[in-house]
Amino acid sequence: MAPQKYSAQVMNCKKPKMEQLQADHELFLQAFEKPTQIYRFLRTRNLIAPILLHRTLNFMSHRNSRTNAKSLTSHLQLTFTGFFHKNDKPCQNSENDQNSVSLEVLLVKVCHKKRKDVSCPIKQVPTGKKQVPLNPNFSQTKSGAFPSLLVSSNEFEPSNSHMVKSYSLLFRVSHTGKRDPNGFINCETDENIDVKEELPSRKKRNSSHRGDGEIPETFVAQMTVFDKNRRLQLLDGEYEVSMQQIEDCPVSKKRATWETILDGKRLPPFETFSQGPTLQFTLRWTGDSSDPSMAPVAKPLSTRTLSELHLLVRKQTMAKDSVSTSMQTRREQSPCEPRQKLRIFYQFLYNNNTRQQTEARDDLHCPWCTLNCRKLYSLLKHLKLSHSRFIFNYVPHPKGARIDVSINECYDGSYVGNPQDIHSQPGFAFSRNGPVKRTAVTHILVCRPKRFKPSLSEFLESEDGEPEQQRTYVSGHNRLYFHSDSCMPLRPQEMEVDSEDERDPEWLREKTTTQIEEFTDVNEGEKEVMKLWNLHVMKNGFISDNQMTQASMLFVENCGPYIIRRNLCRNFLLHLVNLHDFNLVTTATIDRAMVRMKEIEESLPELEEGQDSSDATCNGHAVSSGVSLHGKRTKSGVSD
Amino acid sequence: MGLTGRKSEKGPVCWRRRVKSEYMRLRQLKRFRRADEVKSMFSSNRQKILERTDILNQEWKLRRIQPVHIMTPCTVDSGFSEFSRQVIPLKTLNAVASVPVMYSWSPLQQNFMVEDETVLHNIPYMGDEILDQDGTFIEELIKNYDGKVHGDRECGFINDEIFVELVNALNQYSDNEEDDEEEDQHDCKFEKMDLCDGKDDAEDSHKDHALIQLKYIKGILHPKMKIFSLFNYPHVVPNPYKELTEQQLPGALPPECTPNIDGPNAKSVQREQSLHSFHTLFCRRCFKYDCFLHPFHATPNTYKRKNIENLVDGKPCGIYCYMEYPAGVIAERAKTPSKRTVSRRRGRLPNSNSRPSTPTVNTETKDTDSDREGGANSRCQTPVKLKLSSEPPENVDWSGAEASLFRVLIGTYYDNFCAIARLIGTKTCRQVYEFRVKESSIIARAPAVDENTPQRKKKRKHRLWATHCRKIQLKKGLYGSSNHVYNYQPCDHPRQPCDSSCPCVTAQNFCEKFCQCSSECQNRFPGCRCKAQCNTKQCPCYLAVRECDPDLCLTCGAADHWDSKNVSCKNCSIQRGAKKHLLLAPSDVAGWGIFIKEPVQKNEFISEYCGEIISQDEADRRGKVYDKYMCSFLFNLNNDFVVDATRKGNKIRFANHSVNPNCYAKVMMVNGDHRIGIFAKRAIQTGEELFFDYRYSQADALKYVGIEREMEIP
Repeated sequence: MAPQKYSAQVMNCKKPKMEQLQADHELFLQAFEKPTQIYRFLRTRNLIAPILLHRTLNFMSHRNSRTNAKSLTSHLQLTFTGFFHKNDKPCQNSENDQNSVSLEVLLVKVCHKKRKDVSCPIKQVPTGKKQVPLNPNFSQTKSGAFPSLLVSSNEFEPSNSHMVKSYSLLFRVSHTGKRDPNGFINCETDENIDVKEELPSRKKRNSSHRGDGEIPETFVAQMTVFDKNRRLQLLDGEYEVSMQQIEDCPVSKKRATWETILDGKRLPPFETFSQGPTLQFTLRWTGDSSDPSMAPVAKPLSTRTLSELHLLVRKQTMAKDSVSTSMQTRREQSPCEPRQKLRIFYQFLYNNNTRQQTEARDDLHCPWCTLNCRKLYSLLKHLKLSHSRFIFNYVPHPKGARIDVSINECYDGSYVGNPQDIHSQPGFAFSRNGPVKRTAVTHILVCRPKRFKPSLSEFLESEDGEPEQQRTYVSGHNRLYFHSDSCMPLRPQEMEVDSEDERDPEWLREKTTTQIEEFTDVNEGEKEVMKLWNLHVMKNGFISDNQMTQASMLFVENCGPYIIRRNLCRNFLLHLVNLHDFNLVTTATIDRAMVRMKEIEESLPELEEGQDSSDATCNGHAVSSGVSLHGKRTKSGVSD
Repeated sequence: MGLTGRKSEKGPVCWRRRVKSEYMRLRQLKRFRRADEVKSMFSSNRQKILERTDILNQEWKLRRIQPVHIMTPCTVDSGFSEFSRQVIPLKTLNAVASVPVMYSWSPLQQNFMVEDETVLHNIPYMGDEILDQDGTFIEELIKNYDGKVHGDRECGFINDEIFVELVNALNQYSDNEEDDEEEDQHDCKFEKMDLCDGKDDAEDSHKDHALIQLKYIKGILHPKMKIFSLFNYPHVVPNPYKELTEQQLPGALPPECTPNIDGPNAKSVQREQSLHSFHTLFCRRCFKYDCFLHPFHATPNTYKRKNIENLVDGKPCGIYCYMEYPAGVIAERAKTPSKRTVSRRRGRLPNSNSRPSTPTVNTETKDTDSDREGGANSRCQTPVKLKLSSEPPENVDWSGAEASLFRVLIGTYYDNFCAIARLIGTKTCRQVYEFRVKESSIIARAPAVDENTPQRKKKRKHRLWATHCRKIQLKKGLYGSSNHVYNYQPCDHPRQPCDSSCPCVTAQNFCEKFCQCSSECQNRFPGCRCKAQCNTKQCPCYLAVRECDPDLCLTCGAADHWDSKNVSCKNCSIQRGAKKHLLLAPSDVAGWGIFIKEPVQKNEFISEYCGEIISQDEADRRGKVYDKYMCSFLFNLNNDFVVDATRKGNKIRFANHSVNPNCYAKVMMVNGDHRIGIFAKRAIQTGEELFFDYRYSQADALKYVGIEREMEIP
């Protein structure tokens, strides 16, 4: 009884605890569920239709695999130790110089099935051919002498084709028995032949060549690099692959997958290793040389699956997510291990910061969008900039870092990007139909602004530094500008044009002509020349006395034909004399200007009579245009 | 008189009616015309707007707006079966935020001087509540303008134009139907008595004068009279009809107007007359005629030439040059004119023909040209022969234009007849020379070259200037309130040194190149002779809060590179308009704001604050309205003037006020004008909004100069 009672008590005691826990959990969900869902959704969408590439962000620059000018990007390095086959004993077989086999490595891409396909289409990309030592004796061979092969990680990127389901490496070893012509070896020694079309023909030639020789044996093996879930299967390490002998059938012609062939094995898995044939090699992912420890997780596809992440709210043990090892591979210790573990504690604060829940993670992936930030600084920056529904505060922690997560009450969902984009690209911001053409805007592509060295201290909570920090984020032209005259939005292509560049706005030109026209006691010829000159000065903005000679000559060049056609030469001469009277030009300038005028006059085509008369009307008194204009001002009135 | 009395009994009534109806008709016509004008202006404006919006619309048409698939498409169902259901995918557009209020303004890159407004142009509307709250405001405002509001019809009911039209219209009546009154009108035309008769009902005494003027109006004395009485017109008739109509006749010009020298009616006038318009309207400071900035222009007659040019080059212009004649001969001939026939046509150039009739005369002066034909012509030295060979010059026709032009040019070229002839183009130098001899009495001699004293050493001048300006600055400091910075006006006091009576000295301004005083004047600013950028106090211009004068500062680069923006001198940005590109957008603070496109360094010039230049009184009046609007663009320029960017201005007018600004304003003396420059107070980043402190009175910049200068004096 007692134990029963006891258990009942325990039950009673536990129940409220559970309820309390549940209520607490409710609160937690209430606070974090919605934003988390939103960010999950955005993450998925960004995977399908990216609106930005993280690697282009400054604080994520280390994700950019193409920064290096040498373009030696991250790649898969395979160093082949040797091909072991018990049947031959090359070491003892000293008279035979044939102690190597020809190895061809192909990258097999199993693509997604399209509607019409019966089976999954397979693409084979040859990555190179090597001579691999046959049954080498490790005591003799230096490690540096091993043949190695590089497979660029670009090959694994989805950019090549969105449809690829999985990637695997296909090793094909051609072993041509004991006696083989030397020429064959020579022929095959050239490295890294990745010409697809050449391959079959060469094969044919080779086969015909050695038609009288022994039948070559071909061994194949396949290893998955990325599985269907885009999970990396091959980590750094030394591998020994058991090879299968196949009959002479060109692989490339077949549509069948290699799994089916391997399924037909009878041998228990590990027995093959004792007898061979096996291929030994060392696999390394090399990325930026500066950070080799990060290399295995640096690959763009090595992201976690959704299923793992969607239960963030639950407290789960974030045990090291070990990459499942293949049965066929014997993993030895990775050369790059161990790296220093960084544990990040996310402390979720909710219910007015009165409650908290802690969760730890061992990697630098963003918990919301699973983006591998690879550096603590980048992670913090990413969290701050991309997940503004939360407030993140960084607190240093002996084991790594603590990040306090709370709900940003000030978040209003307002658009903080460049309003120019909204104006010029309505409805385009979240395109679903693939890439869209943007309006042509000139942006600075190369710019080296003064950047502060990335430092974690900028995430530490500070009392007053915040507004200034915020300012740097929005520097630049983050607003929509308007035309000052019409209040119309400035189009991006109009940014470069300064509407104030003209010294003589239209109204001012009109003003000066009407103002001169208004004089009653100035004759038409004078008015005409004065107007021309004023417009000339306004347009060119002359400001000094010593510019006047140049101005007069320019005036002749620009307005000379007009002056001649309107028969204003004497008035123009009077104007020059006037400038001389004001001590602005010399008589030499007058002479030069008038000589130039004569030259222009002679070069002008003769005017027809009719045109002449109509043009010259301004001088006759036919144009005493409108009495209404007259009677307003007199020059004497001005000078008084 | 009895007869006329009867007529006039009937006349005035009918005339009164007639005049009234005509007047009304004309007024209406005018109204219609005005309305039509407004309509056409409106539609042309509308057209302009449409053109501009079309550009934008075109872009919108090209734009593909992506439908949002999640949302249900928009469907329209029709109740009738014959109309099918219409479905269209839903397209969402972003909401567009409205822009702040902006009152229209005109762009300007240089200040623009306007006169005081004597009438209130409009009664500002600031919402009903303000008027309700403060009813007295408008009253006070109107009081500021002595009760004058634009559009009041105090004198507007009849003007010259409508008067002429009215008279013309009434003229028709008299021509057509009023035959029987012809006699009567005749009487009216000549008899003063009649006028008095008609005037009887119009009691106003001062109309007498008007009616006497009206005497000349043919036939319509009565109606005119009546009209004045009718409307109780208090003033005299503006202008006699005759005068008004005569002006419309072609070719009629006011007496003070010189006929067009290029026109057919060109008259022979004196030099002053020919150049009068040019002289009076030219602004020597803006290099423009009737400029927008300087209401008072100095006439050039007192300007002295800096250096007398070599007026006579001493070489004959050709083989027929006047110099080829023995001077005595011509002079003699000029005194004794002979009446010979004209064998040479006017307008011939000397080298065109006339070789047989005018043999070349070898003069005593050695000349290459004459050497060639010297032998042949040596015997033609006798006066008799000369008289025969060279035709009499007196009969050469000088048109009015040519004569005027000659008088103009003789004032510039003096005795360089070859040059004058070249410029006239239609006369030979000989003819010019002869004409000159004829006119010798009225033409002034070339000024003596030795008038100019040799220039003093520049260094000495600099030293003199330094002591002088110390004096001035000390005086400034003495009087304390150096807030008084006065507008510069070129001084003009002939034969008087710039002493305490000189306006420049009293206003504590330097004499500028525009002043009429001698170049040796002590008060003149000599400019700098920097070789650096003139952006430190080492540069006297910078120290004096002046921009470098391109005519004075010849070493710093202010006078070079006119067409490029990179001038070595950094102290000439305002005059060159080297402003930064500014962008307008809604402010982060209030209303509109102005943003800089490119980053700038500290103390870099950003823009000039341009606007209308108004007097302090006008600023007070305008400011009352602006204060009510809580929006003022007034900026104190100096003691006399204020810059108002309300109606005209440039983009910098949108810069907001801040107590912690990133810009500062500085009033600088730029080639004789005070101008406001806006400079960067600190380094400014791309896209930053610009602010400056409105409260900082900008005359202060000049005020501090004195203090700094004093401190520098050892």
